[in-house]
Order: sequence, then structure tokens, then C-alpha cells
Amino acid sequence: MKKYILTLITTCLFSFIVQADNEAYQKAMEKELQAMKVAKSSEDLQKVANGFSRIAQMMPEEWLPEYYAGLALANAGFRSEGGLEEKDAYFGTAKKHADRAAKISPDNSEVVALQGFITMGELAADPQTRGQHLSGQAMQTFGKAVDLNRQNPRAIILLAQMELGMAQFFGQGPEKACGLVQSSLELFRKEADETKVESFEPRWGKEMAEQMKDNCQN
Amino acid sequence: MKILLSTFFILWSTIALSQTIIEGIVFDHKGTTIPGVNIYLRGTFEGTSSEIDGSFNLVTDIEGEVIVVFQALGFKTFESPQTLKAGNIVIRPVLKETINEMTAVTISAGALEASDEKKSIVLKPVDIVTVPSAMGDVVGAFQTLPGTAAVGNDGRLFVRGGDASETAIFIDGMKVGNAFGTTAANVPTRTRFNPNLFKGSFFSTGGYSAEYGHALSSALSLNTVDMPARNQGDISILSVGAGYNQTLVGKKNSLTASANYFDLSPYQSLVRQNFDWERAPYGWDAEVSGRQKWGNSGMLKAYFHTSANGMKLWQKTSQSQGRGSLLGIDNNYHFGQLSFKQLAGESWSLYGGMSFSSNTDNFSIAGLNVRNQNQVLHGKMVAVKDFSDKFSLKTGVEHFVFSYSENLITEDLERSFVDHQPTVFAEADYYFSNKLILRSGLRTGYSALGEESWLDPRFSLAYKFQNQGQLSLAAGRYSQSAVEQLRIFNTELQNTVADHLILNYLLSTNGRTIRAEAFYKDYKNLLTFEGMPYQYENVAQQGAGFARGMDVFYRDQKSFKNTDFWLTYSYVDSKRVFAQFNTMVQPWFAPRHNGSVVVKHWIQALKSQLGLSWVINDGYTFTDPNFPGEMNAKTRSFQDLSIGWSYLPKPNLIIHLACNNVYGRENVFGYQFSPQANEAGRFESQPVGLQAPRFFLLGVFLTLSKDKNANNLNNL
Repeated sequence: MKKYILTLITTCLFSFIVQADNEAYQKAMEKELQAMKVAKSSEDLQKVANGFSRIAQMMPEEWLPEYYAGLALANAGFRSEGGLEEKDAYFGTAKKHADRAAKISPDNSEVVALQGFITMGELAADPQTRGQHLSGQAMQTFGKAVDLNRQNPRAIILLAQMELGMAQFFGQGPEKACGLVQSSLELFRKEADETKVESFEPRWGKEMAEQMKDNCQN
Repeated sequence: MKILLSTFFILWSTIALSQTIIEGIVFDHKGTTIPGVNIYLRGTFEGTSSEIDGSFNLVTDIEGEVIVVFQALGFKTFESPQTLKAGNIVIRPVLKETINEMTAVTISAGALEASDEKKSIVLKPVDIVTVPSAMGDVVGAFQTLPGTAAVGNDGRLFVRGGDASETAIFIDGMKVGNAFGTTAANVPTRTRFNPNLFKGSFFSTGGYSAEYGHALSSALSLNTVDMPARNQGDISILSVGAGYNQTLVGKKNSLTASANYFDLSPYQSLVRQNFDWERAPYGWDAEVSGRQKWGNSGMLKAYFHTSANGMKLWQKTSQSQGRGSLLGIDNNYHFGQLSFKQLAGESWSLYGGMSFSSNTDNFSIAGLNVRNQNQVLHGKMVAVKDFSDKFSLKTGVEHFVFSYSENLITEDLERSFVDHQPTVFAEADYYFSNKLILRSGLRTGYSALGEESWLDPRFSLAYKFQNQGQLSLAAGRYSQSAVEQLRIFNTELQNTVADHLILNYLLSTNGRTIRAEAFYKDYKNLLTFEGMPYQYENVAQQGAGFARGMDVFYRDQKSFKNTDFWLTYSYVDSKRVFAQFNTMVQPWFAPRHNGSVVVKHWIQALKSQLGLSWVINDGYTFTDPNFPGEMNAKTRSFQDLSIGWSYLPKPNLIIHLACNNVYGRENVFGYQFSPQANEAGRFESQPVGLQAPRFFLLGVFLTLSKDKNANNLNNL
């Protein structure tokens, strides 16, 4: 009897610890996602990225913490008001996180889209000297992300941005890009309807699509 | 049982109740605070980040032994073991700087690097092919860079008072023999290799690493594309030929095959030529390159090139009758190489390969048939060990086989030599900090034919200032075997030797680059001879000389919208006793003042890039027998204005039109004097000029791929 209760307690205790870990993961993810929503400066985003990379160290099998660390740093790079060196440092570290996420979860459309997003950031930091080299690379990465999951609105809206830039450069109409914006908006709507509870799957990008839609109507 | 349960709950509640506050400020070694440091307790979810002022505050319920970790980009991770119990703990860590490859100082003395990946570079690969005067030739573009001299009737690279043989060319680190097509005197040549093959280049005008040998003045290292972007076919149709290039890309491997043909006959029938051509230059080439990735970091590349070219030209001298004598050239060339690179563990990397080039020239002149054959075999293996982020050591073993033969076919006479040269080099890089680096190296080799061994020490030092500018100093000894055409007369010839000293300043910020360099080069053991080609006499090494000067380069992509331009000025003061000269003379290939301007402007409304390049120097020296002395006269200034227009009507189509020497200046490269004086006692002369005042090129480049935006330039 005694032995039985002991086993029961140890089992309880063990599952309690596992659950505690899982709970801690949930709590930490929620906290950092919340912090990311309100983050304004690149310094804020650096802190958020620190938070996600702490989670990533505890949960080496999860791709999401690495993904969000990369995303936060990419956004920090976009928002940075510093020089090229500072921006490149943000994008460089972002890339490391995205690559680790890709290792944990290969052929993941979201991760590939993030990799393209980072390349886009490097391009935007110095378009004059990097345009020729990186625009093709960004375009190709977004194309791959779309191929991996045609229902991924982020991959589509990012591809639309590159398409629009390309069309403007060659003096062509924005029809193709605007078509992509339209289909991404539909997918964003669908995504919002099927919000799962306690899912940390990426949900960002809708504002970008709406902004581009306005441009398309002008 | 009850006791056990209650103990557990009591234990649990104590854990929940006790709190520890860990606080402090994070500093770097200079005492500056560091913001954004990731601070956490190892093995837990507990953590925080430092504020803008470097301060932090971490509240935790955890008790007992923990390790507090401090992590920040650009710094070594700092760990502080602590025992946590309720209360306050103050930590004031000082983080040590790590060497950041992207932002740390780099050695820029002598170097002109073109790359998309690295930071302290002067050009991108795409900039090189779009220089109008280059006409798509890799080397043509380098002739607008500091330290080079335009020798318009030759086409090869002449660096800082050195002749063309003093520049060695490498592809993926492997030596390339006879990189330029064979040509006749005064008919400029081009590199044999397709510019689309390369993703970047490293061009050094002196003071280069111990990894490169067999070059007195300059090393040009071209790196091939690692993985092409996509499957595509590229069609090029030129006014002088056509080509096709197909690329196939797999997950871990890729294959590129191309073939090109050119023939100047149709062009020359339309545009009047100053030379008397029997057969206009023609040629073809075929290339295959393959790349295979293995593991996480391994890469194997194979590249094969084969080409042939020829021409027939009537050469007239002042006393010849009719059309003069007929010179025929027929060239066959093969080049193949295998190279690999591989990371081995955390701190080792290995690379190396094998290359073989074989060049056969058949010359026919005035009924005499001569065949020259030149072969170079190069094997190389290099290991790099990073002992820490501050110190790395590169060691390499190389073996060269040089073989050369001259064959007088009509007389059935042959002479030849073969030389084996084992070489070893080692080079250490030491970063004192992110701002200061020292590189020192040693290269040693042995020539079996010359029975000579040598030891070339080299070193360089670079310092980066607060404003991103950097100052580099480089010095070293460089040796090179005697050129084959002379060595064949005297196989005991030793190496020619040059000592370099270079001081360089480079500032590159925000789309603008300034580069200034001063140099001194001292030549020893230069070759001297008497007589004519194929009949040299008294070939010896009585020569010596120097080259000194400075050059300035300014590039600006920011000041004018959609405009990229660069300006170059090079001053070279060079004199040497060499070749058939008995006194110190300024060589004809070393003009004193050299300048160039390259401007590229994108016009959105026309979907076009307009390019302009202007190259000028103060003229070439020559010997006028009507006056005493050697190299006692100088030609008028050389000037070339080239323009180019690239039109992109569709993303995958480029139409390119270029013209050099737009205003038709009659450039003179020297004078040919009659061997006997006329009745008035004067030696008559005729100028050596260009084959035609201008050269036009029209090209249409079409890319076929699934990605409609891909074009020929995407390859770069």
C-alpha cells in the first residue's frame, strides 16, 4: 500500500513538473508575445528577442521561440534609427535565430517567409548597393515560402511587396501585386476566424496587407 | 504517509515564498554600460534584459545554487555562480569583447575587393561588368581602378610599373596559366573567362598574403559562384558573335554549361580598319562547371574550359614591300580544375584543389612555323585553425609544375624545359582587438630546374579608427620565376624579386568610399638580354629598378540620385634596367600620370542605365634613334572615352550598346623606326596606333526561366 502511494506520488510529482514546465512555457510565450505587441523601439524589441531566446534555450524542440526571436530582431532592424552597422547586427542575429528555427522545423513556410523578410530588411538598409543582389534572393525565398504553403498570408503579402517594387522599377502595372494582396487579405480573414486557443502560431502581417490594399486602390 | 505529504507541501510553499532580487549594471572593458544584455538563470525560464543605462533587476523565486548568465552580441558570455536565498544580490559584470568578423578591422593595403558578402569592399561584382570601357571583360574593368595603367594596345593588366607577366591570376585559389587569349602585337587581348562565372574577386596591387606566389606585382583572385539561384537559360547575341548558357540547379548540386562563338569578320567588313587583316580574329569556347554540396559545410567544385582562337594579319615595316609579311596565329587552350572546401569541427577548415592549364600557340610568319606550348599544373592544400576568435593560423602546401616548349616545325627543332616547384606557406592573423590586426606570413619554395630555394616573409598591420576609417601597412618580398620565353635560353636563371612597402587609408561609409595609397617597390634580378624574340642572347639577370608613387580613389553612390561614379588618379614613378636596355629607363608600360572616371546613371523613364568611362594617361615612352639615349621620348597622351547604354525593356531582357574611343582620338602607343637613316641622316618613323578608331558592340541578352524577373545580371 505504502509502496503504491509512493509510486502514485512520484508519478504525480513527475507529471506536475512536466506540466509546470509546459505551463511555464505557455506563460513565458504569452508574456513575450504581449511584450512584442506593445514594443515600440528597437531596444524594446531586443528585450523581447532576449526573452524568446531564453525560452528557446529551455525548449530546444520548439521552433516558435526561435522564430519569434528572429522576427523581433528583424523588426528591430527595420525600426532601428542607427547606422548600417547597427541594422546589420540586428539582421545578422535575426538570421541566426531563423536558421535555427529552420533546423528544428524544416520546410516550414512561416520560417522561410521570415528568412525572406530578413533578407528584405538587409536590402532596405542599403538598397542602392544591395538591390541588384538581394532583390532576386528575397523574391526567390518568398516564392519558396508560398510554394510550401499556399495558404500562408504572410508569405503572399511579402511576395506582393517585392512584386510591387519590381513592377515599379520596370514601369509595369501593379495588377499582379494587387492580386496577391487581395488573396492574402482573404487568407488573413480566414485565419482570424479559426483562431485556436493557446496557439502561438504566427498571426502578424494583416496591417501590411491593408496598407498595400490602400495603395492599390489609389 | 501524512507526514510525507505535508513535508512536500511545506517545502513547496517555502519555495514560493522566498524571493531573491539580483541587480547591478553591465559594463564593457572600457567601462561603458551595455544595454540589451540577455540575463538569465541557466536551466530556468527566469530572466531579464539590461536597460539603456546597462542596469538590470531580476526578481526570482528560485533558491539555491544557480548560474547567472550574461549574453550580448559582440561580447563573450559571462557566467556568475550565485547562491540564492531571500534578499538582494548585486553583480557588476564586465563583459569581454569578441572579435566580430563583420565589423572588425580588415587588411586593406593593396586590396581592391569586389564581393556581395563582405564589408570593406570597394566594388560589387555587378559593378565590374557594367564598366563601359570593359566591353564585358573582367580585366577591362580593373583597368579603371587605382594602381593600374591602361596599355590600350595590349589589354592585359599592368600594375604599378610592372609588366603584364607580373600579375598572376587565380580561380578559386588555383593558378591559371595563360589567362589571356593569344594575340599579335598591338591587337589588344581579353581574358578567356566568362564574367558571369564569378561572384566576387580579390584584386591586389601589392602587399598580398603569403598564400599567393609567382607574382611580382599583383594577384587577381576570382571566386566562382557557389550555388546559382535557379534553373535558367541565357541567350546572348552580339554584333561579333553569340552564346548560350544553361544552368541546372538541384538541392545539393548544380551544373552550368555554356558555349560562345565570336568572329570579327562581319564587323570588320562594315567598319574600316587600320590594320591589313587577312583573317579577322575569331574563336570559340565551351565551359562546364559543376558544384556539389555535402554535409553542412562541404563544397566541391569542378570547372572545365576549352577554347580556340586565331587570326591572320599582314604586318608592314617601313622597308617592306607590298602588304609586308603575313603573321598567322592559331591558339588552343584547355583549363580544368577541381577545388573543395570543408569545415572540420568547430575550429578547423580545409580547402584546396588541383588545376591544369595547357596553352598551344602556332605562329606562322614569313614561311616560318613555330609552336609554343605552355603547361601549368598546380596542386594546393590549405588548413586553417582558429585557436580563438583572436588568433588563427593558415598553413598550406603547394606544388607547381611549369613546362614550356618551343618547336620550329619547318626545321624540326625543339627546345623545352620542365620545372617542379614545391612550396610551403604559413600565415598567422592576430586581432589585438576589433580595431587592430597583425598578419604575418612566410612563403618558401624550391625550384628543381633553377636549383634555388627562397624564403619570402610578408607582414601587414591594420588599424580601424573611431570614424570607420582604417589605416593599413603592408610589406613583403615577392618572387617569380623568369618568364618562359627567356628561361628557355638559360635554365639556370633565378627568381626575379620585388620588395613591396604599402601604406593605405580606406574610409567607406554611407555610399561613399575614399581610398588613398602610397607605395614603394624595389626590383632585383630583372632579366636582361640582347637580340630578337626566339634568338635571345646573353640572357642574364643584370637588371634592377624601382616603382614608387601614390594613388587616390573616390567612389560615390549617394550624392546624385540614381548615379554611381568613381574617380581614380595614380602617380607612378618607375625606372628599371631590364630587357635590352643598358640604363635606368621608364618602361613603356608605366605611364607616370594615370586617371580614370566612371559614371553610371539609371534613368527610370527610359528603363536604361547610361554609362561613361574616361581613361587618360600622359603617354608612353619610346626610344627615338635620332637623339641619344634610351627611352628618350614620350608619345602624346592616351585618352579613351567609352560610353555604354543598357536598356531593360522587360525584366528578363537586356539590350546593351557600347562604343569606345567615342571621339575617335588617334592614340599612339609608340613609333616604329626604320633601321637605316635616310639621306638627310634621319631615321624615319611611323606611329603605332589602334586597329580602328572606335569599336562598337551591340548585345542582346535574354534569360529564360520560370522566374520572369531573372536576367543575366542576377547571376552576379
